[in-house]
Amino acid sequence: MSEKLLDLDTAPHTPPQHRADPTSSSPVVAISGLEVKLTRNGKTETVLHSLDLDIQKGEVLGLVGQSGSGKSVLGLTLMGLLPDRSRPEITGSVSVCGTSVIGASARSMRNLRRNSLGVIFQDPMTSLNPTMTIGHQVLEAAGTKAEALRLLALAGISNPETRYDAFPHQLSGGLRQRVMIAMAVAGSPALIIADEPTTALDVTVQRQVLDLLRELKSQLHCSVLMVTHDLGVAGEISDRIAVMSAGRLVEIGPAATILSSPKHEYTRALLASRISLDTDKSLPLPTFNLGGDEPTVASDEVFDTFVQPPVDAPLSVDVTNVSKTFSVRGKKGANTLRALHDVSLAIADGESVAIVGESGSGKSTLLRIIAGLETADAGVGSISRMKGSRPQMVFQDAGASLTPWLRVDEILRERLVLENVPSSEFAERISESLALVGLGPEILRVHSRDLSGGQRQRVALARAAIVPPSILLCDEPTSALDAWMAATVINLLRRLRKRVGMSMLFVTHDLSVARVIADRIVVMNKGEIVEIGEANQIIHNPQNEYTKKLVAAIPDLTFAEELAS
Amino acid sequence: MLKFIARRLLSLVIILLVLTFLLFLMQTYSPIDPVRAILGEKANAAALAALRAKMGLDDPLYVQYFHYLGGLLHGDLGVSYRSRQPVIDDLKAFVPATLELGIAGMVIAVILGVIFALTTLSRSKPLALFRGFILTGAAAPTFLLGVLGVILFYKTLGWLPASGRSSESGHGPTRFLLIDDILAGNITGFFDAIHHLILPALCIAIGPSLVIGRVFASSLRSTLDYDYVRTAQAKGLTGSQVVGRHVIRNASSPVLSLVGLQIGAMFAGALVVENIFSWPGLGLYMSGAIGASDFPAISAITLILGAGYILVNAAVDILQGVIDPRLRVA
Repeated sequence: MSEKLLDLDTAPHTPPQHRADPTSSSPVVAISGLEVKLTRNGKTETVLHSLDLDIQKGEVLGLVGQSGSGKSVLGLTLMGLLPDRSRPEITGSVSVCGTSVIGASARSMRNLRRNSLGVIFQDPMTSLNPTMTIGHQVLEAAGTKAEALRLLALAGISNPETRYDAFPHQLSGGLRQRVMIAMAVAGSPALIIADEPTTALDVTVQRQVLDLLRELKSQLHCSVLMVTHDLGVAGEISDRIAVMSAGRLVEIGPAATILSSPKHEYTRALLASRISLDTDKSLPLPTFNLGGDEPTVASDEVFDTFVQPPVDAPLSVDVTNVSKTFSVRGKKGANTLRALHDVSLAIADGESVAIVGESGSGKSTLLRIIAGLETADAGVGSISRMKGSRPQMVFQDAGASLTPWLRVDEILRERLVLENVPSSEFAERISESLALVGLGPEILRVHSRDLSGGQRQRVALARAAIVPPSILLCDEPTSALDAWMAATVINLLRRLRKRVGMSMLFVTHDLSVARVIADRIVVMNKGEIVEIGEANQIIHNPQNEYTKKLVAAIPDLTFAEELAS
Repeated sequence: MLKFIARRLLSLVIILLVLTFLLFLMQTYSPIDPVRAILGEKANAAALAALRAKMGLDDPLYVQYFHYLGGLLHGDLGVSYRSRQPVIDDLKAFVPATLELGIAGMVIAVILGVIFALTTLSRSKPLALFRGFILTGAAAPTFLLGVLGVILFYKTLGWLPASGRSSESGHGPTRFLLIDDILAGNITGFFDAIHHLILPALCIAIGPSLVIGRVFASSLRSTLDYDYVRTAQAKGLTGSQVVGRHVIRNASSPVLSLVGLQIGAMFAGALVVENIFSWPGLGLYMSGAIGASDFPAISAITLILGAGYILVNAAVDILQGVIDPRLRVA
């Protein structure tokens, strides 16, 4: 990046030279024999292997794969934005809108990006400059203020004039992503590269953004490269789907064909591991990790299906009429934000309950109050400590909750000491808990910073279960994970619950995950519980309008199957 | 934004009150008896008691404090034991010289620091040489820099003067030579003052410039890794546009707070440098005052330096709010 950043070239506004010619039928992107090597931590690895791929004019290509499959690297290669730090070595041939990307000058790549490409990244919060008004950020791509306002309106932002001077942190996640989209469509690009554009969004917002993308695509007649780990998302928007695994293209074809009759084993695995609203709850989720970690829950292990706990069952969580307001200082002085309003929830001993809702619904606040990390303004929350140790939490980023310089045995020991377990039991407890999460004893000497992502999650779970807690509180533990990593974690959680007999409270924005993991589902909206009931009941026969909206917003493969038939 | 500034100013007033109160306590409980210091060792008891009563030293402590505060508001910092004239008059003569030196030093430190940081983005050899020069300079103690500077630029090369603020005598209305000379249209005087300023200002600037440069460089590097920088590149902006519009502003917040903190180190350096270059500023005044146990003078200098430090850091807080809209609500 260093030299490139300091070259003082002068002409960013050169007229478009590579705008796709509507009459020509040459593909917008033509890749053949592409190989990309990157150097990370001193190791040079081939990240993309002999890749051949075309994107036709006006086509939406879904690029699907696990994290680490190389799909994002491909997107960055097309833009010429692979970080210099990882010293990319690119061979083969890549042509984007008529520009040969390999060996192109910095200036011609810049012109390509300015005139022919639009980009949407995953997290609109971090992808927008926090100290620049959104208007100015769109202006940089649009050229004139009038055009910037038109683009903001085109991206579905109401009152663009008043929003023009807003900073990113003053907008909701959905609006921020619309700002990204407004920038991406500036100058009518021939190709939009969307890298996981909906992954960081709530389901209802994801639905809106997908609709918007589809609409803009047909208005602008551009091509779209949709990079996503979610086959459901890819299926909703793509004409063709390309499946990548470990840097190779394993399968490509019409979206409906790929989804309904996949040929490659990897695609089938990817489809099977997708948790849908019809997944069989009584069996472990299928996990096909081609990356190396073996499945840890035998596929014939059976999980108990829902049994209504008796009315007089002892409660492990009892929350009555809890309210919580936060004071937030905004533009017009102090405001109060009602995070929870008069919420009551009881969880029976051994029961598993999921709280679902969108961001801002109050689900995490409720969990934090139950965990004792937050105090309620009104009402009573109590956790029974009759049995087991204090409650344990599993966080979204389990890796970050392990102290990096401690070894695994030190991490596990720490809790045993805290819970006053006699030291004679240490060795046995440690080996038991490792076995429970499918790790071998050799891992004990490893520092947590050297663990892989999957191992970290398991160590975090082993730590939580080494002294069985009265209740395990989980805050979105699967939302940052790939489908099969999520499946592995869910299987482990369900196994832990079965073996150890603890209750579980699971906060998630994903209804399909909630249905699989929980006996009962609690739906929250704007700080209130709007619906509560048996998991399948909530999903297949929702009563509340808001719940219906949530269920309807989930991208589902049935959509593509209908298209195919 | 106005509300944010008002809140910052309010906390500024409170901190200043705490500072004056601490100074007042120090003064009250210091082993030096102000009455004896003024009248001398041989004064008789009646004269001592009379002056004590006249100075209000028999009043309750809180009354004394309010008198002290009221005095401060009217610019009354007491009478110097040494010069027998109001401390405020002494300060009027010495503070502008130190301020001029300090501000010039800070400007140079920031400019050198920013250049230092920006050169780390490039791999060119001459720029690395520049960084090595700053590193070496910052490793040397200020007094050594001063002495070496005098030997090299005054004695050997004869490029720069070795002492004083100016070759001319007398002063204008503000006592800031650069400003006075501009007001008087005195071009030769202006450049003469700059000529005198360069070496001492450079001496106090080099240390802080390295600190600023280092922090700014690491801040720049981490800012370059942010997603929004990639977004800016994806728009097709040029390298200098990306750095100029998206990187520098976001990278400068930690540097600003550092500049505020470095002001302290800077003035400490100024006190040393003034002695080397016979710069008629607070440093010279203070070494005299300490030698003579001139408590009102010492306390006034402490107040001025402390208040200056607090004011600069309040200004830094406000500037950070200007730079980063997310901080304005706090």
